[in-house]
Amino acid sequence: MPIKKTIAVFISLIIATIVITGCGSSQSTATKAPSSNTGSAPTATKAPSNNTGSAPTATKAPANNTGSAPITLNGAGATFPLPVYTEWIQMYKSVQPDVTLNYQGIGSGGGQKAILDGTVDFAGSDSLLKDEQYQQMPDLQMLPMLAGAVVPIFNIDGVDNLVLDGQTLVDIYMAKITRWNDPAIAALNPGVTLPDEPIVVAHRSDGSGTTEIFTSYLGAVSKEWTDNVGVGKAVEWPADASGQGIGGKGNPGVAQAVQSTPFSIGYVELAYAKSNNIPFADMINAAGNQVTANADTMKDAMAAFANSFSERLTTKIVNAPGKNSWPIMGYTYLVIHMKNTDCDKTAALLDYIQWAISDDAAAQKAADLGYATLPDAVRTLVINKLHEVTCNGQPVL
Amino acid sequence: MAQDIFSQVNLQRVYRRRRLTNKIMLGLTGLMLVLALIPLIWIIVYVLIKGGRHINLDFFIHLPQPMGTTGGGILHAIEGSLVMVVLASVFSIPPALLAAFYLTTHESTPLASAIRFSTDLLAGVPSITVGLFGYAVIVLAQKHYSALAGGVVLAIIMLPVVIRSAEEMLKLVPPDLRAGSLALGAPEWKTAIKVVLPAAAEGIITGIMLGVARATGETAPLLFTALGNDNYEIGKMIKQGIEHNQSIFDVLGRIFEQPADALPLTLWKYAQQPYPERVEQSWAVALVLMLFVLSLNILARVWIARRRSALQ
Repeated sequence: MPIKKTIAVFISLIIATIVITGCGSSQSTATKAPSSNTGSAPTATKAPSNNTGSAPTATKAPANNTGSAPITLNGAGATFPLPVYTEWIQMYKSVQPDVTLNYQGIGSGGGQKAILDGTVDFAGSDSLLKDEQYQQMPDLQMLPMLAGAVVPIFNIDGVDNLVLDGQTLVDIYMAKITRWNDPAIAALNPGVTLPDEPIVVAHRSDGSGTTEIFTSYLGAVSKEWTDNVGVGKAVEWPADASGQGIGGKGNPGVAQAVQSTPFSIGYVELAYAKSNNIPFADMINAAGNQVTANADTMKDAMAAFANSFSERLTTKIVNAPGKNSWPIMGYTYLVIHMKNTDCDKTAALLDYIQWAISDDAAAQKAADLGYATLPDAVRTLVINKLHEVTCNGQPVL
Repeated sequence: MAQDIFSQVNLQRVYRRRRLTNKIMLGLTGLMLVLALIPLIWIIVYVLIKGGRHINLDFFIHLPQPMGTTGGGILHAIEGSLVMVVLASVFSIPPALLAAFYLTTHESTPLASAIRFSTDLLAGVPSITVGLFGYAVIVLAQKHYSALAGGVVLAIIMLPVVIRSAEEMLKLVPPDLRAGSLALGAPEWKTAIKVVLPAAAEGIITGIMLGVARATGETAPLLFTALGNDNYEIGKMIKQGIEHNQSIFDVLGRIFEQPADALPLTLWKYAQQPYPERVEQSWAVALVLMLFVLSLNILARVWIARRRSALQ
């Protein structure tokens, strides 16, 4: 008896392999040629949404399951908005039960690579795409979703409030100021007992939009920073060269590094500092006022740059001149394709984006976490852009 | 006479010395055994204590909550791990068994030594490299991350483990048994399936279990292939499939063709979060992963014991 059972198991395993590999390979051949899969309804939903040629007959393909088949939208990228995106995705389950969203926080650099490789339906990035990336894939569009503050977080036993200015922050990250009781820091913080300890400088180890915002600010404050270190998703940190730097993966990684390293300083999106009770420093802004990162100071900074959006719908909002502006800020963007071939997926994605930037509950959740929602003018720009998105040459909305 | 007494005394002294040496060496080996067991017991106890507090039913039947909020579970990771390990087993076990049969029946052909050599090489390839291979060959070609891609890379990792252990087990089957079966006129394939395989089944199953355990614990290759998915829920996919009158292939397609999470992947992601709930949950994930692999082993052993008593 047991012998027969073994044979049965063995044979069923072989059959299962044949069935599944057969099915798998037919699928992969179908998806390898996205421009030509006009028929085959079962695979149509899985076809990638990248725009390798738009077959004119493809519109007829998904006719038998238009709007009714469950849809999965996959995205990856920035960790800057990850806390609010996971909340939104959770909320959206009850708004659109048939649409499942999946967003993985792999960093803005990773997200840009993923959408250029065509492995995701949308990407999150707070780092602006470069010209050569637009050339590689001309239909990419960045859509601002939210703005957020980057805050300097620190871990000094017994110190809860700290004030820094741009030049001091530059000098710390340039490894020119290496101890907490440096006169430059002490001058900004009268009455605070600063320890005679070396400063451990935490930064991102992956390609990061948060780093781009932070280095944009340091570059705006200091020509020396622009000339010697530069602005970008990843830079060569001077503190690393002097052995005082540590890297963390994603915003969570930097927050954890600062939490677990005494006498360290780092930079993260405000939501990570707030929800984990990590103390963050006040800044002296461009107008010379001491400001703390909150909804008001963020609004002030955004208002100062209200009309600065480029044709690409992107802008940088660091070192705002406003009286109460928080100086280290950035918009975070979704990166999508303007020309698509999978109409159901595209429609679902556009619906989600519209919901995310228009819904009151979604806006409230973002504000609770410490993000700033889009000013009305910017929201109108985004919605106008959404109406230009096409699927097989036809507008989707 | 005097010499006899002398030699007897002498002998007793020798015996005493030998007994003493025996005791000392036995004590030493015992001590080393304890030393060797310390890390194992330490890990098990530590993970039990750290992770045990957060294990409850909700942890197994719910999807994760947004970060920074309490509650939520790891259903997505459990289901993702199951799907990928099942896929990996289906892809790797049949070819591995066939290769093992070939290796034992044609021990010294050039092809056999080539298979053995390449199997050893494959076993030595770092798993992250296998993951990168999966990314380049499957993910980039298919244009999306998927549980299927995760299953394939895990299959590649399982393959050498299963081939080599199955070969060892098949070798242990007495050649007389095979010769007898062939002499009685049974064809080679019947001999293989009805005589050799049952005789070696226990060992082969153990080898498969080892392979499955290895695959379940792998993180690195899944980073490039399965990516991760907080909303991976097979029940929901089946339910939606029924609601929308999808065929079984559509539903299976959705299950296999979208990104998936896995227990070690979730552990890795959670452990680097600043949120204390996530870090605590990562210990609970570690515990679940450990118990999963442990129970696999125990199940295999129980099954083997049952078979053994049935055979006798």
